[in-house]
Amino acid sequence: MKARILDRADALKIVDLLRQQGYEVIAPFRGRGRDTFFETVTDQNRDQVQLHLPNPYYPPKRYVFPHIERLLTVKRDNGDIRIQPSYEEPKRAIFGIRSCDVAGIYHLDRFYLGRDFKDIYYENHRKNLFLVNFVCSDPANDIGDECFCVCADTGPAARDHFDLQLMDLGDEFMAVAGTRAGEALFTNPIFKKATEAHVAKRHAILDQVRKAFKTTTSWFSATVRYVSQGEILDKTWEEIGNRCLECGGCTYVCPACTCFTVSDRQVGPNEIERVRMWDSCGLGGFTRMAGGFNPRRAVHDRRNRRFFRKLAHYFIQRELSMACVGCGRCAAVCHGDIGMPSVVEMIRRATAEVEKRESVSH
Amino acid sequence: MNPLATESVRPRETARREQAENIYLPRIAVLDRVVQEIQDVKTFYWHFDDPGEQRAFKRFLPGQFAEVSLFGVGEFPTSLPPSPTEEETFFTVRHVGSCTSALHQLRPGDKFAVRGPYGNGFPMEDYHGKNLVFVAGGIGLIPLRSAIVYALANRKQYERIQIFHGAKTPKELMYVPNLREWEQTPGVECHLTVDRSADSWSGNVGVVGSLFKKPGVQVPVENTVAFVCGPPIMFRFVIKDLLGMGFQERNIVSTLERYMKCGVGKCGHCCIGVAYVCVDGPVFTYEQIKKLGEDI
Repeated sequence: MKARILDRADALKIVDLLRQQGYEVIAPFRGRGRDTFFETVTDQNRDQVQLHLPNPYYPPKRYVFPHIERLLTVKRDNGDIRIQPSYEEPKRAIFGIRSCDVAGIYHLDRFYLGRDFKDIYYENHRKNLFLVNFVCSDPANDIGDECFCVCADTGPAARDHFDLQLMDLGDEFMAVAGTRAGEALFTNPIFKKATEAHVAKRHAILDQVRKAFKTTTSWFSATVRYVSQGEILDKTWEEIGNRCLECGGCTYVCPACTCFTVSDRQVGPNEIERVRMWDSCGLGGFTRMAGGFNPRRAVHDRRNRRFFRKLAHYFIQRELSMACVGCGRCAAVCHGDIGMPSVVEMIRRATAEVEKRESVSH
Repeated sequence: MNPLATESVRPRETARREQAENIYLPRIAVLDRVVQEIQDVKTFYWHFDDPGEQRAFKRFLPGQFAEVSLFGVGEFPTSLPPSPTEEETFFTVRHVGSCTSALHQLRPGDKFAVRGPYGNGFPMEDYHGKNLVFVAGGIGLIPLRSAIVYALANRKQYERIQIFHGAKTPKELMYVPNLREWEQTPGVECHLTVDRSADSWSGNVGVVGSLFKKPGVQVPVENTVAFVCGPPIMFRFVIKDLLGMGFQERNIVSTLERYMKCGVGKCGHCCIGVAYVCVDGPVFTYEQIKKLGEDI
C-alpha cells in the first residue's frame, strides 16, 4: 500500500477535501468530561475535531446500520395498498474511525452483503462510505483500559478495509491508501513522499504501542475451540447468566452485532411506516413467539447464545470474520463484568477445571 | 463447511437473487376466501395481485414458509400448507397473537402482503424410493400437508405412505376433507386418533403414538423417512416411540418454529445453535435438532 507524509497541521485538511467532494464527514469530538462521540463536521465545529481521544462508546455502526431505519412506507387508499420502499444513499465519510471499528464494518459487510440474500438498505449506506482510519498510537489517550484489539488481531493499525489510514508519527502524519479512492486524494499537495525512515518510524511506534496495551486480554483461541466443540458446562453459562442484568447494553455498543427487530407504526391517517431497529439477544422477549411460547427462557440461555454466536468456529468461518473486534466497549459498559474478555476468561478457567481434559493418571 | 450439511437435509442452495431486489419488500396479495378449519384456525386462500409474482411464488417447495404482512400490525412467518402441485395458494393460521388476529379479521377481497417462499423445505426428491411416514399432532398437520399432497401427486416415486394424525377431540382434527380423501386413497394408510372421544367418534382414542401399536398397523422402519410435527410434548413422545422402533435420528425430519422477523437470515431472531432457522431450516433432521440444542 502506498504511503505519504503530511504535516500535522494538515490532517484536518483531509476533512475539508472530503467535504468539498460532497461527503458528509463524520468525525470524533470530545464532549464535556470523558465523553466522546461521533458527529457530522460543520463549519462551526470543524476546528474541534480530535483524533487522539478515547474511542466513543456509541459505535460508528449506526452510519451503515441506523439505530432506527425506515424500510417501507405503506399508503392505503380505498382498500388499495401502495408499498413504497425508502432508500437513502448518503455520501458519507468517517474521519478518524479506529481500526477495531473498521473491522466491525467489515464484519457487517460480510454479514449483510454476503451469502444468499443481500441487504439493500445496508448496501445503500455502505456503497458511498469513505473510511479514514486513525491508528491508535498514543496509549494515554487512544487506548482504553478495556481495549483488546491486539487479541482480536484488528489493531492497533488496521491492515485493510479502509480507504485511507492516518497515523501520528510525532511531528508528521503518515497517510496510507487502502483503496483507489483513497489513493486519489494523494494528488493534493498536502501529501508528500514518504521515506524509508518514515516507514521505520511507523514500525517502531507500532512496536511500542503493542506493548502499551493495558491489562485486558482475551485469549480467544482456546475459547473458540471449547465453544465450538460444546465443551462448556451448563454451570459455567449459568454463572455467566447470573451476572447479566439483561440491559442489552453489550449489544447496543457492539460494532459487530447485527440483530434487529421490525415494527410498523402509524404516521398518518392512512399511512404507516415499517421500521427496523436494533434488537438485543440479551432481552427476554427476543425469542418470544405469538401465544407466549419462548424457547429461550433463562438468562444464561441468552448469554450462551450471544457468546456462542460470536465465538463458534462455524460462524467465524461462515462470515470469514469474527463477530468480536476487540474494541472493549462491552467490557466497559457491562455492570456485571461479563464483557467478552471476562467471559473468555471464565470459560477458559472453568474448562481447565474439567477433569476429562487431564489425561495423566498414576 | 456447514456442520449441518453432511446429513440428509441440506441447506438449500438458494439462487442468488437479483441485486436490485429488496429482500424486505412484500408484494400485494388479495384474499379470495376463508374456510374455518377448527376453532381459532382458519384457512386463507389468496393470490398475488401481480400474476408474475404468483407464478414465481408457485415454485415453492413443501416445508418452506412465507412472511405475511398486515400493515400497521406487523409481519409474521407462516408455513405453506399447499403443495406446489396444487392450483391455489393458501395459509392455515391459528389466531394467537396480534398479527394472526388481524389476518383473521380480513374479509374476501381485502388486501395484505406476502413475501417468500423462504427456507430449505423438505428434500422430497432425495426421498424418492423410500417409505414416507407422516406423524402430525394438531395443527402440526399444516406444514406436513404440503409434503403429503406433494407425495400423493408424485405417488410412483415413493413406496409406502402412512399418515398418522392426532387431535385433542374429533372436532379438532385438521383438514377433514383431506383426511377423508386420504382414508379412501388406495396405497395410503391414514390413521386418526383423538385424546378425548365424543359421541360421534368411533375411531381410536389415545395419543398419536398409540396408533403405532394398533393391531393392523405396521410402521416400516427400513428405508423410511418419518415426518414429525406437533406440539413440543407430542414431539418428544413420538420421537421416543420412533427411536424405540429402530428409526435412525437422521431419518426423522421436522420443521422448527421461530419468530423469524426477516426470513432471510439477517434479523437474528431465529438463530439457534449453528443455524439460522429461516435459511438453514426450517426443516431439520432430528439428528440436527439435537445438535442445535434448543427446545423444539
